[in-house]
Amino acid sequence: MAAVDIPAIGGHEADAHGDGNAPYLTAKRGIMSWVYTVDHKRIGLMYLMMVSIAFLAGGTFALLVRLELFSRGKTIVDAETYNRFFTLHGAIMVFLFIIPSVPAALGNFFLPIMIGAKDVAFPRLNMLSFYLYCIGVVILLASIIGGSVDTGWTFYTPYSVQTANSVISMTFGVFVLGFSSILTGLNFLVTVHTLRAPGVSWTRLPLFVWGMYATALMQVLATPVLAITLLLLGAERFFGIGIFDPKLGGDPVLFQHFFWFYSHPAVYIMIVPGMAINSELIATFSRRSIFGYFAVAMSSIGLAILGFLVWGHHMFVAGMSEFSTMLFSALTMLVAIPSGVKMFNWTATLYKGSIVWASPMLYAMSFIFLFSIGGLTGLFLGTLSVDVHLTDTYFVVAHFHYVMMGGTVMAFLGGLLYWWPKMTGKMHDELKAKIGFVFVFIGFNLTFMSQFIMGSRGMPRRYYDYLPQFEPFHRASTIGSWILAVGLFTTGYTLLEALWKGKRAPRNPWGSAGYEWMTETPVPLANFRQTPVITRGPYDYHLATPEELATGWDEISEKPAAKKTSQATKKD
Amino acid sequence: MNESNAPATYQLPEQMSTVSGDIDWLYYFIYWTSVVLFVAIVGAMIYWAIKYRERPGHKPTPTGHNMPLEIAWTVAPIFILVFLFHKGFQGYMDLAVAPANSIEIRVNAKQWSWEFVYPNGGSSPELHVPEGKPVKLVLTSADVLHSFFVPALRVKRDVVPGMFTTVWFQTTHVGHDDIACAEYCGGRSTGANGELPYEPSDDPRNPYPAGQATGHWAMHGMMFSETEEDYAKFLKSIGDKCDQFATTGKPCPADIAAEQGQKIYSNKGCLACHTTTGVPGVGPSWKGIWGKEEATNVGKVKIDENYIRESILDPQAKIVTGFGPVMPTFRGQISDQELNEVIAYIESLK
Ligand code: HEC
Ligand SMILES: [Cu+2]
Repeated sequence: MAAVDIPAIGGHEADAHGDGNAPYLTAKRGIMSWVYTVDHKRIGLMYLMMVSIAFLAGGTFALLVRLELFSRGKTIVDAETYNRFFTLHGAIMVFLFIIPSVPAALGNFFLPIMIGAKDVAFPRLNMLSFYLYCIGVVILLASIIGGSVDTGWTFYTPYSVQTANSVISMTFGVFVLGFSSILTGLNFLVTVHTLRAPGVSWTRLPLFVWGMYATALMQVLATPVLAITLLLLGAERFFGIGIFDPKLGGDPVLFQHFFWFYSHPAVYIMIVPGMAINSELIATFSRRSIFGYFAVAMSSIGLAILGFLVWGHHMFVAGMSEFSTMLFSALTMLVAIPSGVKMFNWTATLYKGSIVWASPMLYAMSFIFLFSIGGLTGLFLGTLSVDVHLTDTYFVVAHFHYVMMGGTVMAFLGGLLYWWPKMTGKMHDELKAKIGFVFVFIGFNLTFMSQFIMGSRGMPRRYYDYLPQFEPFHRASTIGSWILAVGLFTTGYTLLEALWKGKRAPRNPWGSAGYEWMTETPVPLANFRQTPVITRGPYDYHLATPEELATGWDEISEKPAAKKTSQATKKD
Repeated sequence: MNESNAPATYQLPEQMSTVSGDIDWLYYFIYWTSVVLFVAIVGAMIYWAIKYRERPGHKPTPTGHNMPLEIAWTVAPIFILVFLFHKGFQGYMDLAVAPANSIEIRVNAKQWSWEFVYPNGGSSPELHVPEGKPVKLVLTSADVLHSFFVPALRVKRDVVPGMFTTVWFQTTHVGHDDIACAEYCGGRSTGANGELPYEPSDDPRNPYPAGQATGHWAMHGMMFSETEEDYAKFLKSIGDKCDQFATTGKPCPADIAAEQGQKIYSNKGCLACHTTTGVPGVGPSWKGIWGKEEATNVGKVKIDENYIRESILDPQAKIVTGFGPVMPTFRGQISDQELNEVIAYIESLK
């Protein structure tokens, strides 16, 4: 690859509207400058705000669900309301929070910076994705709340068709959200292919970018299936063509195939970005390149591909043929390989590093801890005969919370703490962040470890009430959810407090060799004062100069990188 | 063991079926493998994070390459995975294929109750099975998806409207366990006008008193594994239809459903095209077809519940080789109950 010129394609705003060197937060002022912004950083921040609100809402419903289950019988609400609560919890967390969380918020903000670009390839499209997301949020929430949907986030037919008239509008909402994520994905793919700064070869691509790239591939390929499902549901609804409804001669299991054909890759859309953040955190706080960089990068792609082949493992007892069951079990087992590769490589990275016990690193290590549990319990569920006993019980609930929350959410929190100084220009209070972490970690394990045990003892999921022998476990789980909530509020407070009380953040507070730390804090509108020419990998601590690790490419504009170009890339 | 719900181990419930032992063995195999891997990864992480913590004078060593190591930890898990897949699939097949001499009980699930229909025609909300005998359940749903789950038996199977699914098991001793619905199917805890405040009861056999609890969680039933005599007594108590035959002086048929099926065969006019003697008419004879593989225009199919159901509701879907596509559809003219009976009848024509 010849050194890529950074063309105007990525930087309309910076070029057209004046000073690309002004900090992005203050380059323009006024609410309208946010509404009309095409700056990837501002869009990222707006996404961050939206997903945080979604997380707060989804979390509130989670706490309500747990509170209701504290005692047998009615604790706070009746069953109708309970069923809506867990539906809202699931739908909000999956579609509004976790899918857009890392790619749309942190990805938008950092992907262009981490490849030395001025913006994403299509800034206006990026803005469109954000507004589509907002529209999707409105449609989804309106149809869930308006239609009192109580189907669970999986909307299985025929129950969903019988009770919820809004199943079509709901799927439509999910589809609009999906469309928004297709556009983001597309944008990222093109950005990574065309806008890398000179010297950012594929082998120097930060692992966060590799993860976003894999995620983008999945977003672009999987979401169209959702549109097909929607069309089929519509055909059934409006023309009476029997597809999913047995009364019309349709097959309800077919809906599950369609649903999971989208939603299983969606699971990887959720976890791969978390892994991507984790690679950054581990490298920075070990002061060392990730062990097996290539394997870690490729395992993201591997997961993206496998993600498309294993949807059937949600349906081992749903009435599939023995042959498909066998096939899906075998393919599911393969998922363990790329996941394991990542775990081993991260751990090996610590060996002979210089480990900084900063708050983001605590989250990164807890990711390894919790994701190990989440991943290993996946082995129970991929093993057919054992899955028959465990599927649709709390064991599954605990398993995917260990993966989604123990994985992605931990990485997201770690990533937020890590990049907060770069995004806001303010340092948070490390002590408070660590206290928050301790509560999160303990609360999380108490909440979900109890669920593993009651699940394997036979407690099915989505139950309003339960048999007496499960009460102690439900109580422990509910108490855990309170501790977890305290931890999350502490962390949220720590971040917000930094905005008005925090010290001004230096350029490179964590001493990272990553490209995004080489520019000013807060980031200039055009990301870098001039197009950087990259001569070392993002984890090459042994090549980074002490100044770089302290203050980044501070003087880059004054001393145009004489010593940096000297080692210019041979690989390209 | 008479006390139900006493867990066999901390993690798993009592073992009551012939497959439980194997499944639990595999469960604990995965469990201990996981414990070892977890301790290795997390242990190494914590140890190194402390040993190599940042401190004055300590410098990180640049990351090198170690191809053999990387290949090793990519390849080594494959052996475990293949083993798990193999054992899991084996166990799954044990669960899938019911022995030929199984007692057949039909299960009708609906929002929000279970109905078990026994070979003698009687029905009950409770599942009773004779200890040590293979039992095959044929499940169908009147409304939405449900899932039949008995923790102590380690069996679970979705109940799908418009389709038959089956589950089989053989209990190992006398005892009882809870039946639960494991696929979400809605529900409410108050009546249409908000009456009936819901109160769970402490009676383990009836934790959600009838009439109050109407929902997914309340599709609770009891499974009793009992001695031959108790089972026979139970069958009598649910209105053994054999009594009716006793008064007419005819011998009691082995299977009441099949008896009903024969009536449908003549009343609905199947006999115009199908014989039960083995001689083909306009359509294939029903004699001895149950369980056979048969050639059709879409390839070989096995004649089982779902195939017969489809043949009756959607006859053109698969055309038996050597016959024309002339059978009319009976969709809308035959109830699920009647379908069950026709199937039982065809099954009885060995
Ligand atoms: C007009 C003649 C006709 C009538 C009436 C009829 N069938 Fe059929 N049936 C056929 C023919 C011809 C076939 C074979 C072609 C096919 O598979 O559709 C067939 C096939 C079947 C099969 C599949 C048999 C096999 O060997 O695969 C079943 C089961 C069946 N019919 C059940 C019934 C039942 C039950 C009724 C009455 C409710 C009925 N049929 C009434 C003509 C008829
Ligand atoms: Cu149910």
